[in-house]
Amino acid sequence: MRINCPHCGTRPVEEFTFNGDASVQRPASNDPKTMDQWFDYVYLRDNPKGRFDEYVHHSSGCRAWLVVTRDTQTHEVFGVVTARDHAKKRVKA
Amino acid sequence: MSDQFTRISPLADIAFQGRFGADHAAPGVTLSVQHPAAIVAVIARKGKAKALAEALQNWRGVRAQWAGAEQYFVLDKPFDEVRKKLDGLASCSDQSHGRAIIRIEGPKVRHVLCKGTPVDLHESEFEIDRSALTQMAHVGVHLTRIGRDAFELSVFRGFSESFWEWLTEQSEEFGYQVI
Repeated sequence: MRINCPHCGTRPVEEFTFNGDASVQRPASNDPKTMDQWFDYVYLRDNPKGRFDEYVHHSSGCRAWLVVTRDTQTHEVFGVVTARDHAKKRVKA
Repeated sequence: MSDQFTRISPLADIAFQGRFGADHAAPGVTLSVQHPAAIVAVIARKGKAKALAEALQNWRGVRAQWAGAEQYFVLDKPFDEVRKKLDGLASCSDQSHGRAIIRIEGPKVRHVLCKGTPVDLHESEFEIDRSALTQMAHVGVHLTRIGRDAFELSVFRGFSESFWEWLTEQSEEFGYQVI
């Protein structure tokens, strides 16, 4: 499996560290009434078959945080963006 | 107490000069430890990435090597001078004591390095003055092409000894000299 780092170019998967689901969003409120949302955010994860957005750290390269969209079944990579761009896009949306 | 400290190379007790490995007519690669070296890690302040890149480009007599997104290693200049020059543009930290730089050159240099890194180092792909961050023998390496058949490898000081052992082992089949 190869990942195309926006900073370094295509590198083998050994250079990267995976760090879970990139689709979860931190609840905006600290109100105790939102505890359910917090429970979801901290503990609950889907285990999808197919397309999946995932945080990836280029730990043995440029050390940038990335979001890789890949197929969990075939490992086909659809796209890679920096975590910064991913977050900006989400704020806009 | 003296304010003057002598910086000792981490490879002082291991990188001995001489001719080693296979006995071909000429050594395949030549290794040399670049010590002492002035290394300053420079990271662009928020929104200053472009200004920093331009400042480094226009600064004569300094080598600035790409070291990640909006980050560089500035070589050959003392820390205070770099910090003054890039004031407001970047955060600087002195890494002169923290990293070891090994220069490797010679006709077999690409053969040696490609045993360790997946980065394509062919000239058409990786031109002179270009840098990459990668991994060789599980050690994080910052490599820069400084000539057609010459590279500089910068590793954390603490890993330099084991990295040196790996590098010389890989060079043995071509014959190498340490200068």
